[in-house]
Amino acid sequence: MRRADGVPKPARGIGLAVLGIAAICQRAYLTLWRQPVLIISTMLFPLVYLLVLGNSLNRQLRHIPVAVVDEAGNAASASCRRGVMALETGRQLVDAVFLDDREEALRGLHRGAYRGVWILPFRLSPKGPGPAFVGDNTDRFSFDALDQAFRQIWDEIARGEEGKGVVDAARLEAYPYLDYLTYLGPAVVCLSIFMGSMVSGGLQVLEDRMYGYHEGYLVTPISTGALVTGNVLAGTVVASLAGMLVLAAILLLTPVTVAGGGAVAAGAATVFLTSLAISAVWFLLFARARSVSVLRGMFGIINALLFFPSGALYPVESYPPWLRAISRIDPLTYGLNALRDLLLRGSPPSSAYPQWVFLLTFALVCGVLTRVLFRREV
Amino acid sequence: MTPRDSRALEPLLDAPPFLDEPVRPAPEQRPASIQVEKLTKKFGEIAADDAISFSVGAGETYGILGPNGAGKTTLIRMLTTLLPPTSGTARIRGRDVVTERPAVRALIGTVSQAVTTDENLTVEENLSVQGKMYGLAGRGLKRMIDRRLAQVGLTERRRQITRELSGGMRRRLEIARGVLHSPHVLFLDEPTTGLDPQSRRSIWEMLGELKAADAELSIILTTHSMDEADFLCDRVAILDQGRILCEDSPAALKHSLETGERTEIETDRVLGAADREAVLALGARNWRTIAPATVEFQSRPGEGVGRLAAQLLEERGLRILQLTIAPVTLEDVFFSYTGRGLRAE
Repeated sequence: MRRADGVPKPARGIGLAVLGIAAICQRAYLTLWRQPVLIISTMLFPLVYLLVLGNSLNRQLRHIPVAVVDEAGNAASASCRRGVMALETGRQLVDAVFLDDREEALRGLHRGAYRGVWILPFRLSPKGPGPAFVGDNTDRFSFDALDQAFRQIWDEIARGEEGKGVVDAARLEAYPYLDYLTYLGPAVVCLSIFMGSMVSGGLQVLEDRMYGYHEGYLVTPISTGALVTGNVLAGTVVASLAGMLVLAAILLLTPVTVAGGGAVAAGAATVFLTSLAISAVWFLLFARARSVSVLRGMFGIINALLFFPSGALYPVESYPPWLRAISRIDPLTYGLNALRDLLLRGSPPSSAYPQWVFLLTFALVCGVLTRVLFRREV
Repeated sequence: MTPRDSRALEPLLDAPPFLDEPVRPAPEQRPASIQVEKLTKKFGEIAADDAISFSVGAGETYGILGPNGAGKTTLIRMLTTLLPPTSGTARIRGRDVVTERPAVRALIGTVSQAVTTDENLTVEENLSVQGKMYGLAGRGLKRMIDRRLAQVGLTERRRQITRELSGGMRRRLEIARGVLHSPHVLFLDEPTTGLDPQSRRSIWEMLGELKAADAELSIILTTHSMDEADFLCDRVAILDQGRILCEDSPAALKHSLETGERTEIETDRVLGAADREAVLALGARNWRTIAPATVEFQSRPGEGVGRLAAQLLEERGLRILQLTIAPVTLEDVFFSYTGRGLRAE
């Protein structure tokens, strides 16, 4: 019963829940636009990540200093030297020096002057003795690249002598050529979702609790379920926005293969569902946390546990079993797979359906757990 | 006493207004909005609130006065469903704060010590978000926002970003937020802490206007400010170490003190033993000579002993150079019940 004149009759039950959820989302959305630095940083971080990773981690290696010691001085060693010179001028993989003294070359290796020493021993021949590669294995990338390149040179020389008639294995690419930057595109979308949900979902919940806004929610008549749903959706709104802006940038700027508007819409839906699942994770993690320092402590761990196992940077199949197990329950894995199918393989929207089912189920499970853990107290 | 002397004394004898303040009628007759019985909250072995009982009638403003750590905020949190009590019961308009929490939440409004408005939203947006959380929407919500903004004097600032408001205006917005949905009971947890005197006065006046607009609105207010309790509350409970020490209207509490009024009289010459006996006969106690021709004594508030003593001394041929009658305050009441000052905590 209301006393004062003109006081409207408030909604109750489902109507109240819907209004409450809308209010929480409205606030998150308004807060975001009043602090554009948030959305910029949310998108900027993944883009910088992409640029730095794409241009450093997996760029073709160049100008690796090596020493070649020719102790043979025969036709085979001359071919080897020509091969190394071709590497130097062609792919520019190496900067080579040619030495006569094996000891000097190895001293240089231990001093760090060379990453590898290729020794062409006395009487070098395809029938033996063959060349020896001594590499600086503290730098695994250079070691593997040099090892592979020198092996290739020697294989060709050896085959030239004895392997007449060996047929090259056929190699076909199933999809249009992809550079690593394009390959990383879906990962960047997922990273921006991760960042967006952290900033607006995880961090916002903690700040609200610390500064008292949360208390304003707790004393209202909306149900705890609606409160949890509202907070998860608020994080989802912001994370989706960040994810979709990055997705749009990728569609415009990189040579992706998309099967029409339906696939783009499916990509957007994937972004939304991935955001939902990740926001649900953040809210579950912070269901009882009260201090922003919890986030500081957990950000690195959660980033490592959600982003890297997803296969964003490297194929999941090569992971050890325990990491594959994390990957299998990591919602980013599913978001990423769906986006790769849609953006890189040109698959139809239906290819994403199984991933959507997982993401939705995952979000629901997290939501229910959060509801159980959530304490409506201060 | 010559006519000239009498005129000289008149301004000195102006009694503080509280002396004539009538004791407000006890509000027990009104239907209870809040009933609290033996409410206890323990944190481990320590009882923050220990078997607290009181009731507040509809339209009544009830002050809970106590120093920091007295258990005020814990009590408010239990009553606003934010903290389950260890034992005891509390009902808001008949609804139990533990078993009927959703119903209680719909009946109450809160203004906590924490800032619960989002500084990135405008004044109006903050109220809009809050209104929806209470099930208000559309034109009804807009009407309530307009009404509350007018009541707290923020209509002109409705589109201003909240972070740009002054501390006093922000507090008024918090109060508008607390009463937006027309609650039956409003909880104010130290509503003016940290504000300058002018902002405090403005908040008090605004609360008075809110009450005038809704005669049924009950307010529970915690404060450690004596003047705030005195100004706003129909009844006051003094809470210390989790227990209610006394409870009554501010005037009644002040009148209940035996020695709550302090009088200091400076005369043109030293008082003799006969002068002293005459003043003590009026009901003065705790006589002290604090300077050769200055004495201080205490008396029961409301009996005008200080004023009568000054008149008596003039009649006995002394000239009063200075007369100070210190008004009894709730601070004195608090002191008399706890043996220490409020701010000493």
